[in-house]
Amino acid sequence: MASSRDDEAVEFPGRLAALDSLLDHRVRLAICVLLSRYDRLSFSRLKELTGETDGSLGAHLRKLEEAEYARVKKEFVGRKPTTWYALAPKGLAALAVHLGALTDLLSAAQG
Amino acid sequence: MASTTNARDDLGYVRDVVNRSERNAFPAGIAYLWAAIGLVGFSLVDFAPERVGMFWSIAAPVGFFLSAWLGSRQAYTAGQLSARDGRGQLLHWGGLMVAIFLLYPLIAQGALEGEAVAQVILLFVALGYFLAGIHLIPALKWAALAMTIGYVITITVDGFAWTTLGVLYAAGLVISARVAGGGRGQQPG
Repeated sequence: MASSRDDEAVEFPGRLAALDSLLDHRVRLAICVLLSRYDRLSFSRLKELTGETDGSLGAHLRKLEEAEYARVKKEFVGRKPTTWYALAPKGLAALAVHLGALTDLLSAAQG
Repeated sequence: MASTTNARDDLGYVRDVVNRSERNAFPAGIAYLWAAIGLVGFSLVDFAPERVGMFWSIAAPVGFFLSAWLGSRQAYTAGQLSARDGRGQLLHWGGLMVAIFLLYPLIAQGALEGEAVAQVILLFVALGYFLAGIHLIPALKWAALAMTIGYVITITVDGFAWTTLGVLYAAGLVISARVAGGGRGQQPG
């Protein structure tokens, strides 16, 4: 009979497979968590919070947009053009699954 | 295991980013607005007590709506919108205003009169600031502390106690705004 430690070892690959590959990058994960916490965040606020460069953040956001995890809206705030981002329902669902898998993974690792 | 170490590091990074987003959410304009209102409103108790009721019945609701407008404008400028946070602020400060309004029957019945009316309202507001300091804007604990010290002064000191309270309240709010970073400032989109 296998020990519980052996069972955990067998379950690890399964838990890893449940992780969302798009949210596996911590910046994209942080963006989605922030967008789930707030209704809308501007590009510059996301840049300030994540500490990423324009190019890097833009690339991460484009991936989230292409996967329909995030929605984008451009408007003027005062006279300044502002790009707003919001989490799409598909992104919210993916985030819930990913965070659940991460929690399971960490719980299993702690034994 | 490397994957769990990475997961922990990633979650730590996410936690830091979210914590950063919750800091500095206190628009300096709101602090300065209430510092001015408080300084005038409290000082009136010493200099023109007959005008205190009228002043606060106009200044409090006007200040409330101006604060809501400043808060909303600051959220847009900062690029961080949250209906949940807005609702939280509205319920907290609106609830405080309703609680103060509900004191009027006691005042009308004569159960509360004279300087005690202002002292009870002051305690309500100090508690409101303290709870806001715990649940909404940590820096507001400084304003709550200033008001509590001011309350003690109003019951122990005779001359210009309310003016002293006004100065303490205004100073507490300005310190709160400075501690909180005075808002997030202007950022292009």
